[in-house]
Amino acid sequence: MRPELKEYNLDKLFAGTFMVARNLGSSTPGEIKNVLKYTPYVGGLLEPVLATGKPSITFFDLFYDYYSNIINAEENGKKVVMTTFCFDPSVFYAIDNLVPVTLEIGTALTTMLWKRGSSDFMDYCTEIGFSETGCSSQRGAMGAYLAGLGAKIDLVALNMGGVCDTNANAYNFAAQYLDIPYFGLDYPSELTTEEVREYHHKDYRGLINFLQENTGCKFDINRLREVLEEKKKQDVLMNEIEEMQRLVPNPVPGIYHIMIYAARYIYSGKIKFTKLLGEMVDVVRENAKNGRSGLKNGVEKNRTFLVYIDNYALGTAMFQWFEKKGISHMGNILSRTFSQDAPYTTGVPGTTYNIDTTNLDTMIDSLADINARMPMTRTIRGPYDAPNMWLEDSLSLAKQYSADCCLYNGTPGCRNTWSNVKLLSRDLEAMGYPTHIAYGDSFDPRVETWESTETRLEEFYQIRGLL
Amino acid sequence: MKSEFLEAATQIEIDSVQKWKQNGGKIVGYTCSFMPVEPFHAAGILPVRLRGITAGSMEISDSYYGPFVCSFPKALLQLAGTGHYHFLDGAVISNGCDTLRRLDECWRKMGEDIKGSAPPWFHYFDVPHKPNGHAFDWYKNQVKKLITAIEAQFDVEITASKLKTAIKNQNQVRKLLWELERLRREDPVKISGTEAYAAIIAGTVMPLDRYRDSLSELIEDVRTRKTDIGKNKKRLFIGGSVCDDFELVSLVEQSDAVVVGENVCFGVRNENDRVRETKEPLTAITEKYLSGSVCPRMMGWYKQRAGMIIDKVKQTHADGVILQNIRFCDLHGSENGLLERDLEKSSVPSLRIEREHGPLTETGRLKMRFDAFVEQLVQSVSV
Repeated sequence: MRPELKEYNLDKLFAGTFMVARNLGSSTPGEIKNVLKYTPYVGGLLEPVLATGKPSITFFDLFYDYYSNIINAEENGKKVVMTTFCFDPSVFYAIDNLVPVTLEIGTALTTMLWKRGSSDFMDYCTEIGFSETGCSSQRGAMGAYLAGLGAKIDLVALNMGGVCDTNANAYNFAAQYLDIPYFGLDYPSELTTEEVREYHHKDYRGLINFLQENTGCKFDINRLREVLEEKKKQDVLMNEIEEMQRLVPNPVPGIYHIMIYAARYIYSGKIKFTKLLGEMVDVVRENAKNGRSGLKNGVEKNRTFLVYIDNYALGTAMFQWFEKKGISHMGNILSRTFSQDAPYTTGVPGTTYNIDTTNLDTMIDSLADINARMPMTRTIRGPYDAPNMWLEDSLSLAKQYSADCCLYNGTPGCRNTWSNVKLLSRDLEAMGYPTHIAYGDSFDPRVETWESTETRLEEFYQIRGLL
Repeated sequence: MKSEFLEAATQIEIDSVQKWKQNGGKIVGYTCSFMPVEPFHAAGILPVRLRGITAGSMEISDSYYGPFVCSFPKALLQLAGTGHYHFLDGAVISNGCDTLRRLDECWRKMGEDIKGSAPPWFHYFDVPHKPNGHAFDWYKNQVKKLITAIEAQFDVEITASKLKTAIKNQNQVRKLLWELERLRREDPVKISGTEAYAAIIAGTVMPLDRYRDSLSELIEDVRTRKTDIGKNKKRLFIGGSVCDDFELVSLVEQSDAVVVGENVCFGVRNENDRVRETKEPLTAITEKYLSGSVCPRMMGWYKQRAGMIIDKVKQTHADGVILQNIRFCDLHGSENGLLERDLEKSSVPSLRIEREHGPLTETGRLKMRFDAFVEQLVQSVSV
């Protein structure tokens, strides 16, 4: 790792960045222009987010809040739990002395905000023994925390066993390397049977015991109820945005997707996230009322559904390219909630979750059900062509959102999707959806530069006559 | 080396498998050591561990799998696509890792494209990623489901009595395998790692009775040997990714070394690695297969696993450990990093390498690494 990088604390850098960013709401256009002039890389995220208006400041404030809590955790007597993006963090907020740190969010931020992304941190993981072929989404921020350049991690808890072994393996490595307690929720390949439901519930109770044992704190039932009631409101708002996406043109700005899922993965159940969603819904409603596209230039030429994740290289380069080309981003696997009232749910029992705050047991079961139906834990756990799995979800979403084509972005570290994305693509094509598989790394532009990715996207859209 | 073990270790469709088939016997392939073989033996079906040896290219499997995945399942698919597994009446795929579990979809799809490349029956055996509590119940129920599926597909009845007999027979083989392991640990060394490993691999593909007799003969033969294969050689232990290719062991032994033990998804772990015959069969099978956390797919159980491996290394009196992983096998790739650290703490030198599965396309590179490692071990003693 470069020596100069060791001089900085990752969490403090992020907190500092978002502290400045959240104050831009009261700045003049000239002041903002000057800030962007001196922050060419950070500007790649700041500029497009600021362009969304009111939600942007709430978004920056939410991230400042999140990183401030991490920085101050030790001083405030709180423990820090390392977790993954597909783990709903609301349960952590029901414990008085626990603060979550989500690795993939940190990796995506460094990839978007820094000139060299998180390559130094990724390589540090390899230096200390982690597999270089492991998924980059964890390796980025993980390197910083394992090098002691972030908050001191006290425990690890996540939920990807059985869904993404690479992910769970990375967290397991971190726990063993730091010699701290580890708990992983485990998922069978099936989703909807009573046996599976029982397994989820029992497993989640194991997690509750683990958290209580390792924090010395009991769950505050009233606080848990508050968190889950807040989450209910958030699901309603996210579902409204999803529903409005069906309109042509799509009134949802593409950048909203990353803003929503990034905030959701760190602040699910927190009031600030509800505020952010409320402000976004207002903007989308206004666009919808006026028949306006969420694209800045207002002309929707193509609607692309992303079957997996986004590309986070070079600021928000992919989102900007979509804007330039008039492509509406119809969301990706991370955008979905699978709450029972989501517009794309099938009504098949067991495919969605319901939040029941009647008592502690129902709340714990609800949390287990939520975690088992996070975007990846739900969609890519079983065979891709099994009912309610990747193919069916992708087809129904692409149809519902009137997508013109599909796009796969991922990471070379994703064993799960790289073991069946060719099959998925073949089936999507057969069903009439031109599908492009991007071979780059969403978190590591050293694998394929954004410019190369862009050239291939240009080819795809041009040759398939999609623009 | 016994010729039938050599044949079994180097070929897919061996003589005894052909004869089994000619006699009207059914054969089912499986992919992972977490899959219990006893229900198949109880049904009179020959379970055959699927291996990727002899796969010369990947042009078929590359059409289904992406480029960033382990070459072991790709080799299995390639062999199936080229008709090498035509003798299978079924296949049981389990979730040893993400790539291996996706063999289920890739193989099924390939079967639609290449007629005859897929067996008529697929079964998915879902193994939990933890060994206790509700995971125990889940696994036990998976065994029940497997039995029901076998009965339905092959029109057989697997009674408790048949299952107990199968357990007893398989335990006899495990007892012999443990005896072989014990002999390998002795000094002077009477059997090379290559010969021993071929015999271990053969046990996953040969009919049980015949294998048991042959293994007994080998053990008796080894007991009477007067040679010292390990003279002036370093004793090495191999750990890491699945290794179905005894040529890798052979290559290590070409570097003035003798391989005295492995932890690579084949063979027995210890003396007690058996299904308990006094217990209810399904409970006993679950206890044997799910316990021990022998594979890094059991995330969160590293300490137990590392302790078991380090103990095993010490019991074999190995001078060093080769930690290998197939490229893109992140589970072993990362765990090898931790093991390297912890072996060092236990004063056991180790060599960490990444390789491709299948034909030793990188023999030269690997040989050079093995030579250098053994040279280091020699120098460390002389210093």
